[in-house]
Amino acid sequence: MNHRRMKWTAGTLALVAALAYLYDPPWLGGVTSGFFQWEYPPGEPVFRWTTGRASLFIPGNATTVMIPMRSLFPGPDGGPVTVRVSVDDRFLATITLTDPGAWVRDELPLGRRSTRRRHRRIDLRVNRVVRPRMVGVMTGPPTVW
Amino acid sequence: MSLAGLRSGIVTRGVRHFVTATAAIAIIAYLFAYSGADDSPTIHSDGYCYYLYLPSWAIYHDLSFDAMARDWFAGTYPEHIALRRWPSSGRWLNPCPIGTATLMAPFFVVGDLLSMWSNLPRDGLSLYYQYAAGFAGIAYLLAGLSILRRILQRHFSDGVTLATLVSITWGTNLFHYGVFDGTFSHIFSFFLVCLWILLVERWWEQPGWTRSVALGSVAALIVLVRHPNAMFVLVLPLYGVSRWRDVRGRIAELWRRRRWLIVAVLTALAGVIPQAVLYRLTTGAWFVNPYRELGGRFAFASPRLFDVLFSTQKGLFFWSPVLLLAVVGAVVAKGWTRGVATSAIVVFLVQLYLTASWSNWQFGGSFGHRAFTDGLGFAALLIAACFDWAASRPHIRRIVALYAATVVCLSVAQMLQYWTGNLPYSDTTWDQYRESFLRFR
Repeated sequence: MNHRRMKWTAGTLALVAALAYLYDPPWLGGVTSGFFQWEYPPGEPVFRWTTGRASLFIPGNATTVMIPMRSLFPGPDGGPVTVRVSVDDRFLATITLTDPGAWVRDELPLGRRSTRRRHRRIDLRVNRVVRPRMVGVMTGPPTVW
Repeated sequence: MSLAGLRSGIVTRGVRHFVTATAAIAIIAYLFAYSGADDSPTIHSDGYCYYLYLPSWAIYHDLSFDAMARDWFAGTYPEHIALRRWPSSGRWLNPCPIGTATLMAPFFVVGDLLSMWSNLPRDGLSLYYQYAAGFAGIAYLLAGLSILRRILQRHFSDGVTLATLVSITWGTNLFHYGVFDGTFSHIFSFFLVCLWILLVERWWEQPGWTRSVALGSVAALIVLVRHPNAMFVLVLPLYGVSRWRDVRGRIAELWRRRRWLIVAVLTALAGVIPQAVLYRLTTGAWFVNPYRELGGRFAFASPRLFDVLFSTQKGLFFWSPVLLLAVVGAVVAKGWTRGVATSAIVVFLVQLYLTASWSNWQFGGSFGHRAFTDGLGFAALLIAACFDWAASRPHIRRIVALYAATVVCLSVAQMLQYWTGNLPYSDTTWDQYRESFLRFR
């Protein structure tokens, strides 16, 4: 095997190994998208704002998820704020936040959907954002069963 | 081996490995700046607008930016994102042209494919997209430096080449715009301008189909990344002109090469058509001032020349004093560099006047004056001319070396201050500067 072919082989093997690792990386549980930083108001639950859309990961073996949500500001025309929840790109539920001040803690069964990965992705889509920070809804730390 | 031989060997290896070493430093610096959970995202500020084409077109399949606005912001982009609805059409006009996104596209595709592979959200802004955009900036920094090294090695000694590469990379805001603000347009322009210098040199040596098409393509990309950078096209006719009497000969030579010139011009025009079409779709006009809705305007009668060059706010020479060596270089340049100096000076003066006349002459938050980052390839040639001139004058050489080393160290320290929030992003006053001088709280 000449030197060039060895380099190609080593490069291909490294690429395959990297892709195999990245298919299901163990650190994915800590990755989020579309969230602001956590806030720690004294005497109140810890929370973080979403933007208009946000994504987080939960363990792959979870059967139920509960993400505390509060809208704080009313929805369009004073109506409720709705949050569309999906799991791994499949629709799961729509959560309606009618009282802006109340925390809503809906438990969402994930059904029998199986995954070979360590984590499932939860996507949240909020039907309005509030200026100037462009925040969606307040969310607490998720609980899974 | 003699001491001189040893030094020469070290310098030669330094030149050879300069880009690799810069790559390692850039990646470490990038991870230092952006791998923490509390860090702001790589794609931010102006970089967001330049980047927005990619997710909007490739993921949302939408040329109008509406789908992304709906998904992320319930229909309307926030004030700090510079997109505005064009009054007559109601469509979103992105003031940042498509060139940066075009150059970023290969990195975006990798980020997109990896996001699907790892089950990350295909939202255009999640983890891999951020890294892809960040690494695009680093890659174009390295590509630009690589081309610059090639140009310098053709005309200068290894010692001058290495000193110039170090000075331009860390004595100015170049490294900052490759790593920290790598999604802004400046590092992409730097790369293209370096490539432009190389191609112009080759084209004047021996024009042909390939070189003319390449020249036109790079000219188009330069304009597509940042419209005012069309001024760099002036380098082509001015290349090699060092005296008035050269002008006539240059015009005659351009006429003699008109066939290749037409090929380059047609290629360049074809390259900018997509941007014109996009303007047409958005505004109804083929050419527009994309900053109109943001209130940007020129005040040509009252340019802030002194402020742009020397102020504490964003003064070019105040924040990148190593560039004073380029001024010396412009005076003492000889040989090939003399022929480049004229075009560099003309382009610099045009850029200076435009920047100083612009309503936001500071160009917002930035480290140093970012309007001039695009043309640092030219500054490097003049700095090299200065080093080359000083090399044969022992006393001056020591002074120049000491000065360069000092201001490069100062620039690196200030860049780190900026990164860690110890320098204001804009409107720096003398008192603020003095108070924060070399302080890392």
